[in-house]
Amino acid sequence: MARYGMLIDTTKCIGCYTCRTACQRQNDLLPTEDFIRFEQREVGEFPDASIENVPLQCMHCEDAPCAQVCPTGAAHMGADGIVSVDQGRCIGCLYCMAACPYQVRVRNPQTGAVDKCRFCTVSAEQSGTKMCSCVEACLTGARIFGDLDDPDSEIVREIARTKAAPIAGDLTKAKVFYVR
Amino acid sequence: MTFEPVWGTIIAWYLFLAGLGGGAFITAAYLHLRAPYAVHLIRYGRIIGPVAVCIGLVLLIFDATAGFHNPLRFIFLLTNFGSVMTWGVVFLAAFVVVALIVLVMDLLGKGRKVPLWLDVVGAALGLCVCVYTGCLLGVAKTFPLWNNALLPVLFLVSAVSTGMAAVLLVGIFRSPKEFSSVADLKKFHFWLPVVELFLVASLLFVTASSAESAGYASVMNLLAGDCSPAFWLVFILLGLVIPTLLEWKMLFMSSKEVEESRTGHMISATSDVLVLVGGFTLRLLVLVAAMPITIVQPWM
Repeated sequence: MARYGMLIDTTKCIGCYTCRTACQRQNDLLPTEDFIRFEQREVGEFPDASIENVPLQCMHCEDAPCAQVCPTGAAHMGADGIVSVDQGRCIGCLYCMAACPYQVRVRNPQTGAVDKCRFCTVSAEQSGTKMCSCVEACLTGARIFGDLDDPDSEIVREIARTKAAPIAGDLTKAKVFYVR
Repeated sequence: MTFEPVWGTIIAWYLFLAGLGGGAFITAAYLHLRAPYAVHLIRYGRIIGPVAVCIGLVLLIFDATAGFHNPLRFIFLLTNFGSVMTWGVVFLAAFVVVALIVLVMDLLGKGRKVPLWLDVVGAALGLCVCVYTGCLLGVAKTFPLWNNALLPVLFLVSAVSTGMAAVLLVGIFRSPKEFSSVADLKKFHFWLPVVELFLVASLLFVTASSAESAGYASVMNLLAGDCSPAFWLVFILLGLVIPTLLEWKMLFMSSKEVEESRTGHMISATSDVLVLVGGFTLRLLVLVAAMPITIVQPWM
């Protein structure tokens, strides 16, 4: 069974938000609903200072805190390791939003249910898109999607080469890796 | 990023009312055991208990928008017993059922027919409700201010304190004679804000030295940040210190005549109102002051 993950190279990210827009289009999100949250911060000291752009999204944690606290079982982990929200079960109590250490879950203002990055499982099943649209849309090639269990995959090789790591270490066994 | 609290005023009301309801029922059960002659105070506790919890639940259902639009989804609430909220639903449902049975028996039988064991069961469930409101927040690792074992204890003490204050407050106006006769309960009630002061201080000391900088940020939010006026003036001063001083004066420094006079009763009533204000402010502050262990924070 594949164990899907993503690598995001923040040294390549220019903060253009194209991934976010592509994601909103692909997943038919409302203009106020975004699955990718951008953080910016200054790194280094003068004269070697720069701005680091960090796009944050659902990390599809193996220890998913959202699924642990969800009272209705709407937030759950599928057999493929992708964490998803069953929109028909969610009551909108927002417990998962409080439990998520990354604040990457959003409430759909129309339905009141909580939603978040789906690793584009919907598009992959329905229209056969191979990759997440954010990966395809990225202008600088900062994103790589792939199988973390396949030693020959591009993502596994790049994680090893760049020493990429989950943004908060071992906190939740996240499957999104960052080069910083 | 400026962090918007996930839960706001509506949930603060709910946490406050659930604690107050559980605490009021516990007060009634305590009186049943220690002062069974105070039939009116006992009845007030039995009314306030389920009514406050039910109002809180209505707020909760209203706040859970997706469920509010599709009520059948609430059935799913009993599917994940790894979630504290699921346990909360069980405790709340059981408490409301037992508390309403007790209330009906009380109203039909003039207060003499409720068996002690039923009151004890209800009080135990009320205790579970009070502690659950703290555990609900306590298991969220995102917020160091919540994710510790002190918070449920603090919420429990505050819940019992506000529950007793509510019962005593109604008692002062509706049955002043009974109010004067329950010295035991009033002494118990006096100590709760004192214990709360120490619990709050401990919570802040422990949270400020949490491994995550968000712990320090949350404490500073309360002590010196946006939340500090509400924290110092409303919660600490009005909600804890002044009631402690007023009750201390009434219980230990005044003659029996003063204590049972109209003025004495009004001083006690003021103290009880302030305890209620403090109880709500505590819930609201804990919700809005908590900072998440977000990875990138502008001040880091």
